[in-house]
Amino acid sequence: MQEKMTGKEPLLEIKNIFASTEDLTILKGVDITIQPGEIHAIMGRNGCGKSTLSKIIAGHPAYKINQGSITFKGKNIKSLEPEERAKSGIFLGFQYPIEIPGVSNLEFLRVATNARRKFLKQQELDTFEFEDLVKEKLELVKMDYAFLNRSINQGFSGGEKKRNEILQMALLNPEIAILDETDSGLDIDALRIVASGIKKIANKENGIILITHYQRLLDEIKPDFVHVMANGQIIKTGDCKLALELEKNGYEWTDQLSQDS
Amino acid sequence: MKIIDYITEEKINLSTNLSKIQNFCASKLRETPLPKSQSETWRISNKQKLSSLLEYQYDLNSYQPNIPSYLTSKKAIKINVGNANQFNLKENDWQIKELNTKEINFLIEEKIINNNSEPTWTNLLNHSLVSEENLLGIKISGENIPPLQIFCNSKINHFNAKTLILLIDEKTTVDLLQVNLGDKNSSLSLTTYVWLEKEASLNHGVISLGNGTSNLLNSLDVVQKIGSNYKLSTIQMQYDFARFEVNINQSEGGGHTTIRGMQVSNDNEQIGTYTKVVFNGPKGYLDQLNKSLANDKSHSIFDGSIIVPKNAQKTDAAQLSRNLLLSNTAKIDTKPQLEIIADDVKCKHGATITQLNEDELFYMRSRGLTFAEASKLQLKSYYKEIIDSIPVLEEGLELLNHLIN
Ligand SMILES: Nc1ncnc2c1ncn2[C@@H]1O[C@H](COP(=O)(O)OP(=O)(O)O)[C@@H](O)[C@H]1O
Ligand SMILES: [Mg+2]
Repeated sequence: MQEKMTGKEPLLEIKNIFASTEDLTILKGVDITIQPGEIHAIMGRNGCGKSTLSKIIAGHPAYKINQGSITFKGKNIKSLEPEERAKSGIFLGFQYPIEIPGVSNLEFLRVATNARRKFLKQQELDTFEFEDLVKEKLELVKMDYAFLNRSINQGFSGGEKKRNEILQMALLNPEIAILDETDSGLDIDALRIVASGIKKIANKENGIILITHYQRLLDEIKPDFVHVMANGQIIKTGDCKLALELEKNGYEWTDQLSQDS
Repeated sequence: MKIIDYITEEKINLSTNLSKIQNFCASKLRETPLPKSQSETWRISNKQKLSSLLEYQYDLNSYQPNIPSYLTSKKAIKINVGNANQFNLKENDWQIKELNTKEINFLIEEKIINNNSEPTWTNLLNHSLVSEENLLGIKISGENIPPLQIFCNSKINHFNAKTLILLIDEKTTVDLLQVNLGDKNSSLSLTTYVWLEKEASLNHGVISLGNGTSNLLNSLDVVQKIGSNYKLSTIQMQYDFARFEVNINQSEGGGHTTIRGMQVSNDNEQIGTYTKVVFNGPKGYLDQLNKSLANDKSHSIFDGSIIVPKNAQKTDAAQLSRNLLLSNTAKIDTKPQLEIIADDVKCKHGATITQLNEDELFYMRSRGLTFAEASKLQLKSYYKEIIDSIPVLEEGLELLNHLIN
């Protein structure tokens, strides 16, 4: 189905994944393969399972994988803890970033950055070195240093929370980044900032999954593949034209496909 | 129990200058040596732990405490109950004066003997034992008073007892940090009385830190006159058995009381805080927050009562008990009690028991923090609110790191 094969080992390979919570099966056989340098978009109605897919890749303990495999750089990661996945280069930009009162954003970012650096066998940064790095990355998302002295996401506006996610992505330098509706609820300026932040981080080595409802983001960041999800499955995969079609015809257009399959 | 034997076998009568108070308290204890088990606040206390607390050798000497750097304030005047020589610190605009034995005895007699209400067991025990050297009374008056640190400690394999009396003069503002330290395998009995005169203000920190196997009986009694301001910020942890009894009396109403308390229990420890705030006049104010954190197989108790009699109209009191359970085998008992007779009052209270927040933990873990690191950050924020409100402390962050690790 995906033609842009490079012959390299896939970065991330999701094969026939079934996942459920205690009493609900949400994912019903999802397949996606991502090669280094690729950008994939996932679209689909609210409730079809996009966030669940992103969370099981990140290792959320609330979901059980009943079938299938998730392979990251040739290694099955199903039994890895969320922090081990993060350290090895999997990043999830949350649809709803969590507010953590009382925990300093700066301290959190530093501990997180150093955890990743340690994994990469890079030298860990002390407070001052980290300050330099973070100032440089703040530029990318046009955030003020003052944000770092606040508690994690506490009292941040919707746009500020999303920019904080991109800041974290920039600091952690992931190999696979899944950005779950990072563009939802952003005004035009914030969307541009976020999009240009993502573009600066994207490169030939890493892969990006954009979960989105809007063409706006895909105008800025052109995906190599677009997947349409419905009812826990990927029902159609195409190139960026598929997103345009969806924009024009709405999700009802894909309902037919979902029933056919 | 060595301590009870010491009192009941009338050994203390051998001491030459036994005070009236000592006689009074010891004779009460000879009748009923242990707290009455039907007493509400002792009901769920661990009797075995209480008897271990009483199983140490009574020691009327006092020892220089070993003060960790994170509890040392460079700016503060430091006083050690037990080795303080007679002192009278005086500057142009302030004075810290030591009370003499006669003044001290008078004050304690008013509390214990000439008082309608029955003295608590904790205070009876304290006054039966405390020797004159371990009894300190000071009166503070004036303006621009430097911060104070007062230390009490218990020595390894011993039972130490100390009494502290503080008189804060009218319109006088004081920042005080009381530090109680327990060696391992030791017990400390401490009774503190505070009188806040009209419009006096005391920002009072109490840090009680044991060594895991230490024990503590800590009683704090505060009388607030009208217009006075009393802020209590406390943290107690690392005791096998610790009991903090706080009694605050707004004797004329119209006082302002703030309490920020935190206790942490680990292993098999039992740590309890029992507060009672009484409004004896109108327009009193109370804002109280107590946090308990229980880990392993420990037991944490918070019992907070607020008493608003008929003459305490327009009282405004709020109490919140927030509890964090860190293991399935730990136990938290929290009991807020309101006794309101006046009708025109604003009183609210509440209690929550929670665990570490799953979503918050996952968010942090998804950024590479281990479960332990993420929990630690959450705990830090839980502690920080209290530590930030403790006065005089200069190394709050260092203390925090010590407590978390
Ligand atoms: N932890 C959970 N517990 C119960 N139901 C869940 C949970 N997570 C997701 N769901 C349900 O699974 C479905 C898919 O949710 P989600 O993956 O968030 O969809 P999307 O991101 O595509 O909008 C929804 O019906 C949602 O209510
Ligand atoms: Mg979603």
